[in-house]
Amino acid sequence: MRVGVLGIGKTPHKIQHNKSLRDLIVEAGQKAIDDAGIERRDIQALYVGNVGSVGFCFENSTGLMAVDHLGLVPSAAVRVEAACGTGAWALHLGCAAILSGLYDTVMVLGAEKMNDLATVEATSLIAQAADSKEEYFSGLTFPSGTALTARKYMQTYGCTEEDLANVSVKNHYYGARNPYAHLRFECTVDEVMRSPKVADPLKLFEVCPMTDAGSALILCREEMLRDRPDKPQVFVTATSMASGTWYAASDGLDESFDLLARPAQKAYAMAGISADDIDVAEIYNSFAIQEPLGIEALGFAERGDGWKGAADGSTWLDGKVAVNLSGGLLCKGHPLGATGTSQACDIVEQLRGTAPAEIQRKDAAIGISACRGGPGSVGAVHIYQRLED
Amino acid sequence: MTVSAIEFSRLGPPKLRLYAMRCTDCNTLHPWWEHYVCEKCKGTTLVREQMSGTGELTNYTVVYYPPRDFLGQEPYVVGHVRLDEGVSMPAPVVGVSEDQVEVGMRVKSVFRRMKLGHEGDVYYSQKFVVDPNPPKPKKKAAAKK
Ligand SMILES: [Zn+2]
Repeated sequence: MRVGVLGIGKTPHKIQHNKSLRDLIVEAGQKAIDDAGIERRDIQALYVGNVGSVGFCFENSTGLMAVDHLGLVPSAAVRVEAACGTGAWALHLGCAAILSGLYDTVMVLGAEKMNDLATVEATSLIAQAADSKEEYFSGLTFPSGTALTARKYMQTYGCTEEDLANVSVKNHYYGARNPYAHLRFECTVDEVMRSPKVADPLKLFEVCPMTDAGSALILCREEMLRDRPDKPQVFVTATSMASGTWYAASDGLDESFDLLARPAQKAYAMAGISADDIDVAEIYNSFAIQEPLGIEALGFAERGDGWKGAADGSTWLDGKVAVNLSGGLLCKGHPLGATGTSQACDIVEQLRGTAPAEIQRKDAAIGISACRGGPGSVGAVHIYQRLED
Repeated sequence: MTVSAIEFSRLGPPKLRLYAMRCTDCNTLHPWWEHYVCEKCKGTTLVREQMSGTGELTNYTVVYYPPRDFLGQEPYVVGHVRLDEGVSMPAPVVGVSEDQVEVGMRVKSVFRRMKLGHEGDVYYSQKFVVDPNPPKPKKKAAAKK
């Protein structure tokens, strides 16, 4: 499959008290329209990924609000929601719409405004993405559920908290060099270890911040991008989604592996490539442990070895595969509905060669993004390629 | 907000006991008191079964930054308990300090207050405490078959 990426646009990722949800939507969408160099009337459908505007902002119908404020009326518009996999799902639906032949050009946009609420309120709201009627009564939330996974991983594979801390060190090294990142400072293993405990063994530097952000892509039929030789010839060449159990209850490492490994295997087949071909990867890491889990599921390392790349350099800029050159969710934050679209935009920039110089992988031609949500219920994998013919 | 008072009137009764759902086709147990399709055999006849409430703590975390409903309880311990019937479920563990909790601990369920509601209404649920009289290994093996 090939779906052309005609344009991308993104807002900075940070706490933006001076901007509303609609400000973020309009900023990201307008940038994508400008980048694509098309007219508004050319955009036939709009897919808006947004998880929690009804709770975070006390407004609903985000898709309908976006289509109006972006000046896209009377084009089709809908809001998409699938927990942390929301933005990736919007992208999936956009790709499916183009591939079906129904539309020639669509906009996929993710946005989330999280910082109008206090952290305790926001955490409660996020916890509702899993079972808020049964499971939540145990006091389990996303950080604590993932902390259980981290402890199980360490017990099973015999790695230490210090070993895992290298993941945060790598993400922060690149996050410090990404002007769009939320947390822009470097840190050491020692500083990660000394950062306050959030849910043992997860520490503050292993947890993503609450972020306000939006990002958008304009997708088109392959021939339309071919007809625009002035545009970078970057295509989505695989889009693959899967589900797992809705409950955060499981700390099973097999379930966690399967959640991304299944869609990844399908995606590699769809694009006709293998894990060895990938230059750059954006892997979901709202909590540090999820990066090694993703690395293993995408086939970049054996099970239990996923943490080693951050320690030995093989997942750094010049390593075998560069993982999370954006700083990942640990530094970009996790603007729920915008995370999947943000990953996509960052990979497209890498393939275009337009990423900030210090985090640009040389001659990047094939990229992958992997998003998980729920955190055990959504697996999403997309592959992107620069194809000159 | 997790549940309204009216919703809690539906959720409340199952919380008085510790239940799991057993598949009548393949005997697999699923956590909680609601489950409609067996994850193992896809059978659709599942029945509610009361658990003995005893089991082993297989994993835990200590939460320092709680969501709103648990504010004031931090730091609190939540983990996974494998009940002697063989099913695992997330479980708050109370009455044990953060430096005493350990994997492998024998625990048993108790009925406790979960939180106070906005208008002073009290929400209850099942929690776990360290089992002062852990069952003998023989009993455990028999129950697990
Ligand atoms: Zn069954």
